[in-house]
Amino acid sequence: MSDTPAPTAAAPNGEEAQIIDQGYRSYDGPRTGLAGSVRSVVRYSVRHTLGLGRPARHKLLPWLAVVIALVPAVVFVGLAVVLNVDLITEEILPDYHQYYSFITVALFFYCGIVVPDILVSDRRSGMLQLYLSTPLQRWSYLASKALAVALTLAVLTIGPVLFLLVAYTIEGSGPDGLIEWLKIFVRIIVAGGAISAAFTAASLAAASLTDRRAFASVGVILLLWGSGFVTLALVEAADMSANVYAFDLGGIADELKNRIYGIEGIDPLGGEDPGRDDNFSPGAGRAGLSTMFVAAANLAWVAVGSAVVWWRYRRLALSR
Amino acid sequence: MGVVNPPVAEPQPAGGNGTVRSYDPLVTIVETQALTQRFGSTLALDALDLQMQPGVTGLVGANGAGKTTLLNAMLGLRVPASGSLTVLGFDPQTAGQRLRAMVGFAPERNVLPDEMRAVDFVRHLSEVRGLPRGEARNRASDTLWLVGLGEERLRTLGTMSTGQRQRVKLAQAIASDPKLVLLDEPTDGLDPMQRSEMLTLIGQISRDFSINVVLSSHQLEEVERVCDNVVALDAGRLVACGPISDLVGAGDGITLELVDVAEPAGSVDAVEAALRAGGLDVRRQAATLQLRGAAFDELCDRSRDAVAAAGARIRRLDTRRRTLEDLFEDAPR
Repeated sequence: MSDTPAPTAAAPNGEEAQIIDQGYRSYDGPRTGLAGSVRSVVRYSVRHTLGLGRPARHKLLPWLAVVIALVPAVVFVGLAVVLNVDLITEEILPDYHQYYSFITVALFFYCGIVVPDILVSDRRSGMLQLYLSTPLQRWSYLASKALAVALTLAVLTIGPVLFLLVAYTIEGSGPDGLIEWLKIFVRIIVAGGAISAAFTAASLAAASLTDRRAFASVGVILLLWGSGFVTLALVEAADMSANVYAFDLGGIADELKNRIYGIEGIDPLGGEDPGRDDNFSPGAGRAGLSTMFVAAANLAWVAVGSAVVWWRYRRLALSR
Repeated sequence: MGVVNPPVAEPQPAGGNGTVRSYDPLVTIVETQALTQRFGSTLALDALDLQMQPGVTGLVGANGAGKTTLLNAMLGLRVPASGSLTVLGFDPQTAGQRLRAMVGFAPERNVLPDEMRAVDFVRHLSEVRGLPRGEARNRASDTLWLVGLGEERLRTLGTMSTGQRQRVKLAQAIASDPKLVLLDEPTDGLDPMQRSEMLTLIGQISRDFSINVVLSSHQLEEVERVCDNVVALDAGRLVACGPISDLVGAGDGITLELVDVAEPAGSVDAVEAALRAGGLDVRRQAATLQLRGAAFDELCDRSRDAVAAAGARIRRLDTRRRTLEDLFEDAPR
């Protein structure tokens, strides 16, 4: 039994005394089942990726990503308060959908540097084997991890824009009327969720293919940035169909966000640039794609990423 | 071969799950029938037929004997090539989730995240094994006190010694109050004092809290010390299975220790040769001969005659204790 002594003093108010420390004992109470297992892994993984409960060096990168995503929003709100004008209507500040260009940097940074650790560390340390000795199965373990990544990514994709909406509303520069406000709110949630889903699947897929965190990071970065450069070159230089942009993860997710905000066929970077002869912009190329195609391409990224992760983990030998 | 079969269990209700076989927790914890596992061309488990009874069961064998493979199969982490396996009455392949909610596991590998506090690690694994949050928090502390790490429970795992980390692994395996705990080489890397303490702890867990333990080890003496039952594997084949009291300890031949002197020269060799010539099973270590192959009285008589003929002198003559090592040496190759 436990070495800790159980308090035996009588309760001062005369009530019956209770043994607080009962030591190790049998447990016949309720059990939470698979849902409890999943909840615990999600909670632990979110804390792990954000560096909570870990030394300061593990907090640096994830919170840097949060700062990168959030600081411009804070500055914009500050400007709106100080200048006391409707900065969006006056086109001084970017609209809600345009704010995602600030988020993208944080998102790429977070997916490349932070996310791979969530799968790689479990495989390297052997925690995966320990998890799978519990009620968790491979699919529920992976679902827990994906949910944890999606939730933390949602902090980046939804949090800052939602902050802008709330702050502008309080400041008086928000949408006109409840219906408009709700429309923007739903768009923020749906667009953020869609981007999170695609980026989660793709970055976990890259992280599932190697046990080296550095290789996984390079893989994620190549997938995010490299796919953009390659597709751009294929369409613009090799004159291939604009459908090739479906392979540009960052671009196609950004395009889906535009469609969710009701921006179709418009170059989100600002349209034609009078200073350039060729009016070149990758966003202009994507603007010609149908909304159905854009949505399907994003779904395909989620499906293929999930399939790669599942394929890898189904074959993964834990030990002999 | 000392394969011992326990009494046949009375059939029990299936408990609403078609995958639950008849199971009497007082009789059988684990049962396999022709269980076979292959890794490519390597036969890791060779048609195992065994039954593990309640208490502490030692799963012994050399490295590569199939111990970890069998543990993984018991957890449902490996799909057997053929044969059947039930653990606590469940088939790990079809009812793995229900089964693993009742089983604790401490793997051989060092799986502890360095930056995590011991109490947080045990609590997290308890939650994953199905305890509500508050209960998991309380039991994590209680379990760490039980394994002797109460004062250390707030330390990060990376700062702990090997012995402490083995205790943490044990704590996470038992914190959710499982029916069965699988411990893969729990004394690996421990010094003799730590090993002794760990074995005492494992015995206590089974005795005081009625938790069945399967203890994998290649250290035969520690299995003899703490286990009630033993399953001995050699290259994937079953060497012996049953209560350890039936397999080791009873008188089995004699130990004849001679005085190794210069005159007459080669007297020990002469005794050994004479006994071998008489058809006895003789194992020699320096001047000590382990003799088997005849009744006790006959062994004594023939030893006396051989010693007298060779002019040797006896230092000690004793009944010989059968050990787990004998199980492996007697196993057919």
